[in-house]
Amino acid sequence: MLAIFQILLVLFCIFAIVGVLKRKEDNLLGPKGALFWIFFWVAVAIVVVWPNIVQRLADYIGIGRGVDLVTYLSISAIFYLLFKLHVKMESLKRDFTKVIRQDSLDQLKKK
Amino acid sequence: MFLAIVPAYNEEKRIGSVVQSLFEHVDKVLVVDDCSEDNTFEESKKAGAVVLHHKINCGQGAALETGHEYARRNKAEYVLHFDGDGQFDTNDIIPALQKIKEKKADVLLGSRFLDNRSKIPWFKKYILLPVAQQVGRVFGGLKLTDAHNGFRILNINALKKIRITQDRMAHASQIPELIQKYNLNYVEFPVKVTYHEYGQCTVGGLRIMRDLIIGKFIK
Repeated sequence: MLAIFQILLVLFCIFAIVGVLKRKEDNLLGPKGALFWIFFWVAVAIVVVWPNIVQRLADYIGIGRGVDLVTYLSISAIFYLLFKLHVKMESLKRDFTKVIRQDSLDQLKKK
Repeated sequence: MFLAIVPAYNEEKRIGSVVQSLFEHVDKVLVVDDCSEDNTFEESKKAGAVVLHHKINCGQGAALETGHEYARRNKAEYVLHFDGDGQFDTNDIIPALQKIKEKKADVLLGSRFLDNRSKIPWFKKYILLPVAQQVGRVFGGLKLTDAHNGFRILNINALKKIRITQDRMAHASQIPELIQKYNLNYVEFPVKVTYHEYGQCTVGGLRIMRDLIIGKFIK
């Protein structure tokens, strides 16, 4: 029998997957991104329903507690996403610079 | 045409005299005003320079590349990178141009360490610059006597190939990297640098490293 928090979390995961599918439909998310996020929320739901899986995985890898494994993985994922965001921002800045450059050259032509 | 590119940000006090002194040594002076908050734009115009204005502050590397784009469109044969704060000596320009022609090099890179005319603050000389040199070697591979010296001359061949994408100060490491990548001939030349301000600080150095690393991940 599932505890209330498990039911709520599974419902949350379902909402999240629906959200991902909607974003995919609106072309706000590419196929790779959509697949990643669906996989991610399905994995979260599985862990919520069968928490022992994480413990078994943690034992297999040699980490003491299942919750520690989740913490390590979460921190790594956050760092990775932050880094990707940073790269994306820098790339946007460069695109921005190209527009500013073109504008400055065009302004000179107009004069 | 020999074009001087002067990237400038809030240099109203010195830009006029820098532009005027450049006219004695080059055919045309282009100031790229990187969205200054003072009268850099007007002072540069008054002094007779062609002035391009960035509507948003993009950084020195971005301003230099804007100058490159202008030079490509106007078919400049040589371009000179020259700082707008008056730290370089215009008397170095003609001998430098002669040197790049004589050596048939594509790029001339100024160096503060090939003679002892520059009075470099000791922390910069013995701590920051050796670190910057090593970083430059890791990213660029060129063994230069100086690092992050803004005095450069590029010929038309180098101008076609060198496209600066590092908008801020990391362009100074990117240029040697591109020289190596495109197998361009380069020569170093002694230049005098007079310090008005300290220049890059340690934090600035760390920012450059961050930009260089992030830059490796941008297509």
